Amino acid sequence: MLIICCINSGKVCNDTALISNFQADDTRLFVGLPLDVVSEDNEVVNEKAIISGLKALRLLGVEGVELPIWWGIVEKEAVGKYNWSSYLSIVELVQKMGLQVQVSLCFHASQQPKIPLPDWVSLIGESDPNIFFADRIGQRYKDCLSLSVDDLPVLEGKSPMEVYKGFFESFKSSFASFMGSTITDVVIGLGPDGELRYPSCHLAANPEDPIGVGEFQCYDKYMLEQLKQYGESNGNPLWGLGGPHDVPTYDQPPSVDTFFKDQGGSWETPYGVFFLSWYSSQLISHGDRILSLAASVLRDSSVNIAGKLPLVHTWFKTRSHPSELTAGFYNTATSDGYDEVVKMFAKNACRIVLPGMDLLDDYQRDRASPQRLIAQIKETCGKHRVHVSGQNTLVSETSDGFEEMRKNLSKENEVVDSFTYQRMGTNFFAPEHFRFFIAFVQKINQLDANAYDKAEDMGRVEAMHLGMKMG
Amino acid sequence: MSGVALEPVLHHTLRQSSPNIPRIKHRKSVPFSVNFSSRSVKIGGSLSLSFFKPNKSLSVTTCSATSTSTLPKTSESTDVIYSETFQLTRVEKAEGQICVRLNQGKDVDHWQLTVGCSLPGKWVLHWGVHYVGDTGSEWDQPPSEMRPPGSIAVKDYAIETPLRKSSGSEDGECLHEVNIDFNCNSKITAINFVLKDEETGSWYQHKGRDFVVPLVEYPRDHDNVVGAKRGFDFWPGTFGKLSKVLLKDEGPQPNAEGSVAASAGSTHANRLLEGFYEELPLVKKVPLCNTLTVTVRKSPESAKKLVYLETDLPGDVVVHWGVCRDGNKKWELLAAPLPPDTEIFKNKALRTRLQIKKDGSGAEGFFTLEKEITGFPFVLKLNDGTWLNNKGDDYFIPLPATQEENLSQEKEASISTGSPSGSVTTDEKPSIEDQEVAPTTYTDGIIKEIRNIVTDISSEKKWKTKSKETQESILHEIERLAAEAYSIFRSSSTTFLEEAVQEAEEVEPTITIRSATGSGYEILCQGFNWESHKSGRWYLELQEKAAELSSLGFTVIWLPPPTESVSPEGYMPKDLYNLNSRYGTIDELKAVVKTFHQVGIKVLGDVVLNHRCAHYKNQNGIWNVFGGRLNWDDRAIVADDPHFQGRGNKSSGDNFHAAPNIDHSQDFVRKDLKEWLGWLRKDIGYDGWRLDFVRGFWGGYVKDYIDATQPYFAVGEYWDSLSYTYGEMEYNQDAHRQRIIDWINAAGGSAGAFDVTTKGILHAVSVYSFIRVFLQYFWNVVSGWTTNVIAPQVLERCEYWRLSDPKGKPPGVIGWWPSRAITFIENHDTGSTQGHWRFPGGKEMQGYAYILTHPGTPSVFYDHLFSHYQPEISALISLRNKKKISCRSIVKIVKAERDVYAAVIDGKVAMKIGPGYYEPPSGAQHWSVAVEGRDYKVWEAL
Repeated sequence: MLIICCINSGKVCNDTALISNFQADDTRLFVGLPLDVVSEDNEVVNEKAIISGLKALRLLGVEGVELPIWWGIVEKEAVGKYNWSSYLSIVELVQKMGLQVQVSLCFHASQQPKIPLPDWVSLIGESDPNIFFADRIGQRYKDCLSLSVDDLPVLEGKSPMEVYKGFFESFKSSFASFMGSTITDVVIGLGPDGELRYPSCHLAANPEDPIGVGEFQCYDKYMLEQLKQYGESNGNPLWGLGGPHDVPTYDQPPSVDTFFKDQGGSWETPYGVFFLSWYSSQLISHGDRILSLAASVLRDSSVNIAGKLPLVHTWFKTRSHPSELTAGFYNTATSDGYDEVVKMFAKNACRIVLPGMDLLDDYQRDRASPQRLIAQIKETCGKHRVHVSGQNTLVSETSDGFEEMRKNLSKENEVVDSFTYQRMGTNFFAPEHFRFFIAFVQKINQLDANAYDKAEDMGRVEAMHLGMKMG
Repeated sequence: MSGVALEPVLHHTLRQSSPNIPRIKHRKSVPFSVNFSSRSVKIGGSLSLSFFKPNKSLSVTTCSATSTSTLPKTSESTDVIYSETFQLTRVEKAEGQICVRLNQGKDVDHWQLTVGCSLPGKWVLHWGVHYVGDTGSEWDQPPSEMRPPGSIAVKDYAIETPLRKSSGSEDGECLHEVNIDFNCNSKITAINFVLKDEETGSWYQHKGRDFVVPLVEYPRDHDNVVGAKRGFDFWPGTFGKLSKVLLKDEGPQPNAEGSVAASAGSTHANRLLEGFYEELPLVKKVPLCNTLTVTVRKSPESAKKLVYLETDLPGDVVVHWGVCRDGNKKWELLAAPLPPDTEIFKNKALRTRLQIKKDGSGAEGFFTLEKEITGFPFVLKLNDGTWLNNKGDDYFIPLPATQEENLSQEKEASISTGSPSGSVTTDEKPSIEDQEVAPTTYTDGIIKEIRNIVTDISSEKKWKTKSKETQESILHEIERLAAEAYSIFRSSSTTFLEEAVQEAEEVEPTITIRSATGSGYEILCQGFNWESHKSGRWYLELQEKAAELSSLGFTVIWLPPPTESVSPEGYMPKDLYNLNSRYGTIDELKAVVKTFHQVGIKVLGDVVLNHRCAHYKNQNGIWNVFGGRLNWDDRAIVADDPHFQGRGNKSSGDNFHAAPNIDHSQDFVRKDLKEWLGWLRKDIGYDGWRLDFVRGFWGGYVKDYIDATQPYFAVGEYWDSLSYTYGEMEYNQDAHRQRIIDWINAAGGSAGAFDVTTKGILHAVSVYSFIRVFLQYFWNVVSGWTTNVIAPQVLERCEYWRLSDPKGKPPGVIGWWPSRAITFIENHDTGSTQGHWRFPGGKEMQGYAYILTHPGTPSVFYDHLFSHYQPEISALISLRNKKKISCRSIVKIVKAERDVYAAVIDGKVAMKIGPGYYEPPSGAQHWSVAVEGRDYKVWEAL
């Protein structure tokens, strides 16, 4: 309901108590601010457009906005030296508009738009490239730190975990007056693009929508050390010397070489189980480390804490789910890879952000299945009572995509109780897109034209004269 | 013979029943004379399906307190603290029948068709015939011997014959009827007709189309022959009711022999005419307009408030009312004792019957209320059970505590047609800042308004909104803001936040409707053509059509340019303040505007802002000095057209070379134009603008004019050429529509634009291509086949695939920004007697079937409306209104192939154009044909 939502969002207003009973059954809808809403030079970009956009969203009945806060901008110059000023002014602006904020803390870098890691981290990376993930032939992924260094003192004598902790604490104190009121959710960056995964497709021809299976990323120095230890402790020291040899390259299908073969592939051999168990558990431990750290710092701020999962749906319809395996999810025809992951979120009382809610199987390559994967993850979340915030992948230009999002948000899917639409920008406000978005918002707010007309027709004859306003 | 119910029943009757229908007696026609010179006044509203049409032009009368009644007349002017007149629009329904009878006349060759109507009215039969060998659905005029006395030929395809009062209506049937005699051996294959009520201007059709009485075995599968399964689509309540057909199942009767004998000699073996009689239900809706005046006075002796209600509604009027306290809008009951004649109704409202006035001219009532009561909400109930309310909402009369607070406060709470009041900011910043303050103010106003609405809402969740108009105005504001954001993101400039934060500061809002894009459900009529100036009394002629246009379902009319002009059509304006033009005088203009307002139609003024003709020559003999009230000099003229030696800045757009182009970058020009537009709004009563030649100046200036004049609706004419390669239109017209979108964006999304792209593409889907004609001709000549014969079917272009863009959306502006697209297929320039870019002849209805079912705001051209297309156009409009297709409806294109285009709109309406085959899928939805014509078909979901 359009009007109700407007007020729901206005927690800062005192008159909201009047209608608080409407809040329960509404899906909270957020819209992402542009990734570069604050520039590399720590200035707000296009703020006039942002203001117009915020007003439009407020009128439309959107709950709030998602604000990406970048490590590389806030802690750009030196470790422990934070500059929150532009982000603070945005949060203040959003608060004045009566909207809420879902903050995403981004510990990764972005290529488009260009947002790097902190300068001092990049410098360290130049002298010690082993803080970054590496693939089989030593190619690096430099947009986030390798999960293998989480607890190693590689950053000027501090471990990444200690640096993150400082960042969380500074964030908490800088935004203290907004926490729990304007800022309702904090999404913690967990890896590449903020997602809990290995950067298994970063060298694919099209990393956003890879055609191949990707590659394992366990070849940086520290990762190999840990694999070696794991092999030795499991009585298979030879298995711990490296990743599998019989795997395809980034853009190759699983049928190339023997590891991912549907029948009799190495993934089902004892070696395969050994390697995949280790590879995936490393990822889960990493997620657990950051989320429990974030929870310990932010828990008393009465905000929801969340982490983002990727939707690795390519090759989902094969037995080996090779794309999920390289990304770090041991999810195959014989193993449920998401149960452990979701349990880890449940343990830390965190929400899961899940993208791809707009994707339809019909539009994918034949072995991919975003819809089935979403169903699996949602079911697992339901089992462990973890709430899900949905996201779309792209600014959608078809009503089909919106319809799928709406279905994912419908009553039967109570596990998804909020949604963040990605994201504001030229395409978002383009008339050919924006009207779909309006229709979408009206629909999830149960105010489609028909319902209104119905209410009007019924109301006119019966209710009107009795004074519907009499309470 | 089975399946009788679904087949056109008439065929069966023709074969089975005897011409000797005993019940029907031949009635002699007697002259019927009624004085029609005094047409009923105050015909208002429209025939939309809503219970009553929200009257958008709620007129706030000035505090003149015109009550002639029993009020204490002490110091009226100071006592009145509130006075408002509401227009009450309602529809009176009368039910009756149309009777159609086919009888044998004096011998077997002579037959008589009788059409009657059992309701009173000034009925006219609008009819034509089909001849043997006719194709298509066009009518022809009947031979003169067929025309009853009093018939008038309408153009060259139809006849209008008035129905006359019939005599022996002993059983209460057929009050009015007309007889058409004809010889069944003539070459006539069918008689087509529609019925028109001249009093209301309403057309009565059969299933949205003509009635057809076939006189031979009807070859086509048309289902609008009389006797088909449904009643009139005109009124949906009785769909599916079978009409009373006298199906005389008596087998072959003696008289049939005669028919056989007669036809034996003729070549039409199937010419077996058989009589029939059929009655079809008919509901006539007469829109009525009354007023309700509410006056609030301070009681002279106490602090009580006297509320006085006065109305000219006939009969018993019951007021259901409540009182509000503490400034909210919650209905409360009055503590006992109740006023006289007042009772409590279901413990929720108070009910008071108004006193019939002594002179019988209406009813009135007094309510005395304590001073702490801050509001008086009410609705009215008439004795036929009709409820009357204020545009879907309760009437609410604010009762301010003191005079100073007055009604302005309440005006604020109900978003309505207020005027922009000064912005309330203490910020002293340069002018850029000023431009920004207004939108902020407005949006904050809406937000506050929403808050007010919510506070009003009770726990009843179903009924939680204010009027639909509020909804629409919020939607428009959202779109405007999005457009603003869009244009900034596109140009991606970087500025600083400080300013922004200040803008977001809370400022006290003043609420007005800013978007000039109407309700979203508007249907436009272009109310003139290129010849309209010739009579010199166009305004008067149009005035007579107001009620008809309203009943056809139009909500906005575009009037011709009103200013004095060098060219008679008005597009070469000279003295902007002189509104005596070839179309009529300023007073006639005001009258026609008023008449349209009375029938609920908004009026657009055609304003030419790009150029203006000068009054005088300068010292060089150049015509560039203006006279009249706006006596600008050559600084008001752009510098880059050497013909006029302007001293202004360079033009911000394209130049129109026939007259001096105005330099809108000059502050004094803009100030003068804003004043002029404001004057047109206020003094003439225009609700909005059709902006001529907006290619000539920057869209940002248009935004300025729109913001300054707050029109209800505005549309710009941005007309440039589509992309062609060697005479063939290119498939991708994105560049063309982008230019139009860019203009709308430059205008801040505050005005719509004509969707020239859609018109152009509709042209191309099925016209003769001259290049192809030429090539074919050339080929034929060289190949020696023929010298001059070209088979048309070879050359007819069939390119309906053009109607889907690469993304599967409509290829015109409506595919990208439908709520700002005004679709049309013809206007005074493209068609009429100019014909600069005429829509392919004979394909017009395909064009209308497209634009009247698709999103965007459709505009119907006068020449088409008042032509034989009217019944079809009218049917499409009533379907659009019935199915609530709006400018934002969603189109799903299901077929875009060589010879057919088909789409489903909002899942409620399916349509196809083109000769190819399409039927909507028979899935969960049941589809029924709503309108059908040559190469198009429209279905509605049941």
